[in-house]
Amino acid sequence: MHTYTFGQSDEQAMIRDTCARMLRPFESRHQEFERSLAQEGRVPEEFWQAMTEAGLLGAFIPEAYGGTAMGLTAGATACDAMASKGFGHPLYLLTSMDALCIANAGSDAVKDKFLPKIATGEIKMAFAITEANAGTNSFRMTTRAKRAGDHFVLDGEKTFITGIDQSDYVMVIARTRSRDEIKSAGLPKTACLSVFVVDSHAPGVELTPLPMRAIEGARQFTVHFDAVKVPLENLVGEEHAGGAVMFSTLNPERILIAAGACGQTEYLLDRAIDYAGQRVVFGEKPIGAYQAIQHPLADLRIRIEAARGLTYKAAAAYDAKVDAAETGMYANMAKYLSTDLAIDAADRAIQTHGGAGFSEDIGVIGYWERTRLMRTAPISKEMILNYVGEHILGLPRSY
Amino acid sequence: MKILVTVKRVPDPETSIKVKPDGTGIVTDNIKWVVNPFDEIGVEEALRIKEKVAGSEVVLVSIGDKVAQEQLRTGLAMGADRAILVLADDLDPLGVARVLAKLVDDEKPDLIIMGKQAIDDDSNAVGQMLAELLGWPQGTFASQIELSDDQKSASVTREVDGGLETLSFPLPGVITADLRLNEPRYASLPGIMKARKKELKEIPVADLGVDVTPRVTITKMEPPPSREAGKIVASVEELVNLLHTEAKVI
Repeated sequence: MHTYTFGQSDEQAMIRDTCARMLRPFESRHQEFERSLAQEGRVPEEFWQAMTEAGLLGAFIPEAYGGTAMGLTAGATACDAMASKGFGHPLYLLTSMDALCIANAGSDAVKDKFLPKIATGEIKMAFAITEANAGTNSFRMTTRAKRAGDHFVLDGEKTFITGIDQSDYVMVIARTRSRDEIKSAGLPKTACLSVFVVDSHAPGVELTPLPMRAIEGARQFTVHFDAVKVPLENLVGEEHAGGAVMFSTLNPERILIAAGACGQTEYLLDRAIDYAGQRVVFGEKPIGAYQAIQHPLADLRIRIEAARGLTYKAAAAYDAKVDAAETGMYANMAKYLSTDLAIDAADRAIQTHGGAGFSEDIGVIGYWERTRLMRTAPISKEMILNYVGEHILGLPRSY
Repeated sequence: MKILVTVKRVPDPETSIKVKPDGTGIVTDNIKWVVNPFDEIGVEEALRIKEKVAGSEVVLVSIGDKVAQEQLRTGLAMGADRAILVLADDLDPLGVARVLAKLVDDEKPDLIIMGKQAIDDDSNAVGQMLAELLGWPQGTFASQIELSDDQKSASVTREVDGGLETLSFPLPGVITADLRLNEPRYASLPGIMKARKKELKEIPVADLGVDVTPRVTITKMEPPPSREAGKIVASVEELVNLLHTEAKVI
């Protein structure tokens, strides 16, 4: 497929090529790769090493810390390119977001400590914000971090934490003052959150696996923090000012998710085209000649173009440091368009394959759950419509 | 040592090629362009020499349209030091060899590595012509290159009909790369970033004062005849029977 999108630079084309070349040794073993995601709940380590050698982990890290600082357009291009060949790594997204957060908001000490190791692929990171009673509304979180001499003490519980078992560190958003204290002090609900890098294996960190579906290559956990000691220098940004730090990672996350969804759509479409072009059921013509098969695929092709256009516009806005409100608008819209597109692509790829679409060997059925997850997380489709209604259209808030 | 490596912009070998209806060339719309794979092997070999021999410089050369910048940038992202793009319309092999010979006068490299041929027209001629124009020794179809410790001579193992042949000759010389010489690296993101700042000099071919009048013209191009689909047989017996009765080969 031609992957030219409006404004695609030669450099993006090179990044796509780099990813395609990096993936080549894995492509011949695609089924085996997929099986290890499903059975072992993790991506083979050699895939992480290949991503590291290609320099993908350094895209958000300044040169002084061993990265390239090539930015979100580069990172999104990589996500898109990998997904378009049927590959990805959940901890790539998480570690990238954490790196971006540290690079944007961290002190020299926290940058020195973590960024070079992220760039070289030495450490993987998870991200912990969600709590049982604080999902879409993060401000209801209750996990507490209290300063105690030369460290913080972390207590609480986070849930739906992806891949923490594979991670070396986890970025945790916690309260540095309780909700009651904030309320009685008349502070806004966004106040007094703080962001920490926590050793995933520190004493007091306990994991309970969750029986979840849809994220391939990583398991999910409820994470209990019981008097976990966190060194002072692991604070990212100012104490109590973590709300802004946290928000600054949400747009890039949405853009990376959107880019991955565009890539997944391309992958599913390619699979459907291959099958539709070969499969003969009646007479001589392959099923791809039938408009009931062909038109839904043509429609996907049109929408990929639109979704990529918006996704890379959002990435370009972020890289150009356009104000957060405008970047946020594009980021949300891109996530909305791309993830719905990917769901349709999974549905149509399955339908094109007929009964074979449900075979694990064919490998499109797994995308049914994978793509559907993105309508719910990291932000639901409805919350994006709320955002657009309220902030772009200027209509009253419903909730 | 200074190594000059050629980088030609060619259609991606995975692209399906269509010949223009009037037979004057191929349809270039919607084609993905890449570095000639044999040249890419040449770049890799030059980079490996550079990694071994301190103070080496790898200079890339392409001849063609301004868009060949993309392929030079790819070579720079792999790790080459700088690049020269000679802006010219399609040249025939002798024209290319003459342009390169002129650049060699200016650049004075110790070694020239190029792909044994470009996968677009498969001429397999420029390396040999260039060596002749320069009066330099040549080692074509190299599957292994070893330099002496003082880098004054090269030993080149060539893939020839019926086996391997090893030649040794003093440098400077011309070596053309065959498929099995190495497995080229790909550009990493840090490589791509560093390539932004590397020199890419453009020279209009007219400025070189070289006679590039074509000796070869393409009169007509046509696609190879399409082959009929094969037949899938159910058993070995049927296969043997068909080979005997239909194909009449056994």
